[in-house]
Amino acid sequence: MISRGFFGRRRPAEVENRLPPGQYLVTDFPVLSAGPTPHTPLDRWSFTLEGLVGSPVSWSWDSFLKLPSQAFTVDISCVTKWTKLGTKWLGVSVDTLLQSVHVDGTARYVMAFSDGGYTTNVPLAEMVNGQAFIAYQFDDKPLAAVHGGPARLVVPHLYFWKSAKWVRGLRFIDHDEPGFWESLGYNMHGDPWKEERYSGD
Amino acid sequence: MQPALEWQVGEVTRVRTETPRTKTLTLALPKWMAHRPGQHYDVSLTAPDGYRTERSYSAASEPERAGEVDLTVERIDDGEVSPYLDDVLMPGDQLEVRGPIGGYFVWDVSLGGPLLLIGGGSGVVPLMAMLRHRAAQKAPIPARLLYSSRSAQEVIYRTEFERLADGDGELEVVFTFTRHAPPGWTGYQRRIDPAMLDEVMQSLGNGVRSYVCGPTLLVEAVSNALVAMGLPAGRVRTERFGPTGT
Amino acid sequence: MDDEVADMNMALMVDGNAVAGELQQIFGRDMTTAVARCAGCASDAEMGALLAFTRGPGVVLRCPTCRAAIARIVETTTAIYLDARGAAYVRMGSRP
Ligand SMILES: Cc1cc2nc3c(=O)[nH]c(=O)nc-3n(C[C@H](O)[C@H](O)[C@H](O)COP(=O)(O)OP(=O)(O)OC[C@H]3O[C@@H](n4cnc5c(N)ncnc54)[C@H](O)[C@@H]3O)c2cc1C
Ligand SMILES: [Zn+2]
Repeated sequence: MISRGFFGRRRPAEVENRLPPGQYLVTDFPVLSAGPTPHTPLDRWSFTLEGLVGSPVSWSWDSFLKLPSQAFTVDISCVTKWTKLGTKWLGVSVDTLLQSVHVDGTARYVMAFSDGGYTTNVPLAEMVNGQAFIAYQFDDKPLAAVHGGPARLVVPHLYFWKSAKWVRGLRFIDHDEPGFWESLGYNMHGDPWKEERYSGD
Repeated sequence: MQPALEWQVGEVTRVRTETPRTKTLTLALPKWMAHRPGQHYDVSLTAPDGYRTERSYSAASEPERAGEVDLTVERIDDGEVSPYLDDVLMPGDQLEVRGPIGGYFVWDVSLGGPLLLIGGGSGVVPLMAMLRHRAAQKAPIPARLLYSSRSAQEVIYRTEFERLADGDGELEVVFTFTRHAPPGWTGYQRRIDPAMLDEVMQSLGNGVRSYVCGPTLLVEAVSNALVAMGLPAGRVRTERFGPTGT
Repeated sequence: MDDEVADMNMALMVDGNAVAGELQQIFGRDMTTAVARCAGCASDAEMGALLAFTRGPGVVLRCPTCRAAIARIVETTTAIYLDARGAAYVRMGSRP
């Protein structure tokens, strides 16, 4: 039944070509919640690369901030059907992080892991060449805890659930494994332009 | 066996303005079932392009009123669903709902009292269903309602509360205003706090059943306070409405 | 401002009772008074009293005592998934 006078969300014509199929434009920044906001003190925060690497490497918050950072502006699409255009971030690209470890030739996938127990899987080939960042600023301000601060993964070309909030590290693995949402019906890959929402899409 | 929970199309038969931001919709339901006071309905809206969204609204009416149910909806200005329900729906319109739902936040006279109801903003809606039911059953169960609003203008069901409490020695309705109190107001003018809860509860005696409903942050504060005051956690029932106004 | 934003995640939290409809659709009966025992901390809670996070790709129901995920629900276009591995058990009376 169509609800008389309910038009739901919008796909304005001016930006139609920037909205993946089935997505609607938002101008605010909706909070996606799966649990309470973790508040790890910065002096106990670390970021770790582990799994199929020569030897694991960890950064403290201070040493992480000293890594070369990069500003980037991207459109983001959430599987809950909103797309936000031109979001402005600052962070460290995964390419930069990888200069500090030797990744084993057998590594094919990455499992990102976060405070609060969240995980999500991304193919290694889609984490490199400027495709993925560990971001700690949004809109020129420190990234708010509610949006994943102090630091979150940002993989803008995939649905936003892949951009793990409160991220604490990447584990390199040789096979694909489902993360938190992928293990419950969500797509292993999650390309918004192919509308890969659910497993089987 | 309960009948299966199905979506059904109700018809809006009446729209009443309660406050500048709140309206009550009366829905006639083809598959009406008596609710237990405190239960809610899920409302589903569908746009012409197939986009669908759902929200929950508590039954405001007493189950003794057969065939129809009242939903009282506070308009959240930047919300997706409540502005539609309050500003677009008219008598004669159809609305897709399922319910009544949820056996956790319910009270009826068979559970007895004493009853402590604490509501903030639209959180008073399911509590009103309990009080209307209590009145319909003429049950002399001691009951207190502590109701927090921003201002007197935002009090939902004001005249009905006065009528219910008038001539009912067992019911007391206590207001607190968090932003603007009416001129000459001598009652509470602050957010609900432990001292206020203590005063309101004093005359209720032991074995209180409490129901706390409203914006999540209010429910969080009040239910923690009640448990800290010694109420068993199992006797503090909560219904968090999410980020609605305080 | 940041405080206000920081609270939004909390402000969006509701009770397990708020997803009574989804649960009833899955189980064919009201589940809000069924008792779930947390597999993590072994405390009991009625499912209606679990903490529910509903504004995301799916619903997550958490233990009010230790906040571990007790159950997750995802509705796709073709199926409903329920993962209740965070519950040691769910106990329901024989007469709902
Ligand atoms: C069991 C139950 C019973 C209820 N009963 C009633 C009732 O009787 N009467 C009543 O008026 N309400 C009731 N509610 C609340 C109701 O379900 C809606 O939540 C309310 O009407 C707001 O819906 P909306 O679509 O208008 O607003 P929404 O679009 O949900 O937005 C509400 C507010 O939160 C913000 N917001 C929403 N999502 C996000 C996000 N992801 N990130 C950041 N900000 C966000 C919005 O900007 C807005 O300010 C009940 C809720 C529950 C769970
Ligand atoms: Zn637990």
